[in-house]
Amino acid sequence: MKQYVVYTCFVLALFWACRKSGGDARPATPTPYQVELPANFPAPVYDFAQNPTTVEGVALGRRLFYDPRLSRDSSISCGFCHQQFAAFAHFDHSLSHGIDNRNGIRSVPSLFNLIWQKDFMWDGGVNHLDVQPLTPITDESEMGEDLQRLIDRLNADKKYRSLFDGAFGPGEINSQKLFRALSQFMVTMNSFNSKYDSVFNKKAQFTADEAGGYAIFQAKCAACHKEPLFTDGSFRNNGLPWNEFLNDAGRMRITNSSDDLLKFRVPSLRNIIKSPPYMHDGRFYDIFKVFEHYSKGIEQTPTIDPIVKNGIPLSTEEQRQLYLFLTTLTDHTFINNKALSEILIDN
Amino acid sequence: MKPCNLLFTCLVFCIACKKDIIPKKEGNFRLNFDHKIGTAALKLGATVYKNPSAEDFTISTFKYYISNVYLVKMDNSVQALPASYHLVDESKTDSKSILLLAPQGEYRAIGFKLGVDSTRNVSGAQTDALDPVLGMFWSWNSGYIMVKMEGASPLSAAANHMLTFHIGGFKGQYNAVQDIRIQTPISITVGPDREPAVTFAVDANAMFGQPNPVSFATSATIHAPGEAAWKISENYKNMFRITNVTDL
Repeated sequence: MKQYVVYTCFVLALFWACRKSGGDARPATPTPYQVELPANFPAPVYDFAQNPTTVEGVALGRRLFYDPRLSRDSSISCGFCHQQFAAFAHFDHSLSHGIDNRNGIRSVPSLFNLIWQKDFMWDGGVNHLDVQPLTPITDESEMGEDLQRLIDRLNADKKYRSLFDGAFGPGEINSQKLFRALSQFMVTMNSFNSKYDSVFNKKAQFTADEAGGYAIFQAKCAACHKEPLFTDGSFRNNGLPWNEFLNDAGRMRITNSSDDLLKFRVPSLRNIIKSPPYMHDGRFYDIFKVFEHYSKGIEQTPTIDPIVKNGIPLSTEEQRQLYLFLTTLTDHTFINNKALSEILIDN
Repeated sequence: MKPCNLLFTCLVFCIACKKDIIPKKEGNFRLNFDHKIGTAALKLGATVYKNPSAEDFTISTFKYYISNVYLVKMDNSVQALPASYHLVDESKTDSKSILLLAPQGEYRAIGFKLGVDSTRNVSGAQTDALDPVLGMFWSWNSGYIMVKMEGASPLSAAANHMLTFHIGGFKGQYNAVQDIRIQTPISITVGPDREPAVTFAVDANAMFGQPNPVSFATSATIHAPGEAAWKISENYKNMFRITNVTDL
């Protein structure tokens, strides 16, 4: 019997000796993180297989998202313009703000349900979530940093070295790891727990006014703001009068096609009441101004979308009910989710 | 099972775990790139050259992507190689010589893409030669710059008389990725203990020549995909000539 014990020990020792040696301490493999997805949404566009989410990766992405040292003068983090209480849009700012008091030419889009989005920015110029942060990080009017300088700074930072090692295994930090970490945090920013969703899942009921608003929405808005994401992901000219100061051609800048002049992304209406101002240039601070625009403010241009061409008349009563319906798209669990909230970085 | 049998079994397993020694079926070959203006060596900095329209200019940057290299066998069938991406940069000597691995055999032609194939333009964060830190990726309109040439010309109307040719675009009719396939003057043989090398003369002036001649007076800045970029790509298709083959 004793012999068996000895032999068993010997065999175990053999296995022990055969293990991979990786320096003095083997880094622990990161813990997988399961992103929760709602049953009634389409399959995500984002390919999780390319960048599997891990607890360590998400935590690192969150830290990066809230770290102002990603900007040239360490003044602006992603979270500076993407505020959780405004569904990660920039509350009360019509145009994006950057370093040195610069202004961008468009409003800050809200951030959620990004894994269902196939392109990014108001004009759809960015084709993958992983490379999206490259734009704000390097844009002169936003964070104004040089990518190589940022990578060098991260590599020189002991804390970041250890966090990146923990999330991606040991080695130099490169831009791919930076972008993948940011994506891992962003893919957890999903919003599908509004009152509307509870009603959809038969766990709550609309009030009479909300139900009335929903009927109006379905008749007059849902063609572009398609459920359940409340956008169809398309680019359209919704008849906004030309803003001569911004001179923004919209999607045409990306496609070089005059068919795309003045076309912009159809934004999601989820959390819309929490994320004013509205439109690509933040021109409307009040949702009722948006209703008014669709009722009687449509400017006719060659690329005007046929759906809005003749206006979308909304009576005062309809506007009131529509507003009440839109409030049911506010996802309080999302905007108060502690896992997404700002962290103070002091090391 | 007796304990000593158990031990023996374990040892057998340990032996079985050893890596098999596979006879090598591959060999190396090398591609070298010599940058020229016409027949003169291209030098970055103050050297003044003339473009095909006889306009003076200097060059500060010249770099481009070589990817998806393949070889053509003697029977004209194509031997694909594992996809690889190389940024050839005049300012980095090492980048101008690429070592590749190919199945052993005799080949009559070499092909590659000048640029980065569409897949890699839409697959998110890339690394190594495709890392955006290298300044060859457009952030506002996702996609790689296939060929980048910068410099100056007294005829340029841009600030400081700069020349900026960032040529890219991977979509639709203005796809600036060009397929290059060139027959080698003598065949090259990939085999054990050999390293055949093919040297290309790369005439940067071809960018401004035929079929779409460029005058710096009217065109000094391109930094977006589109028709103008594509027209340059139709020119740079003609940039490569094989000047030397060592089949050793």
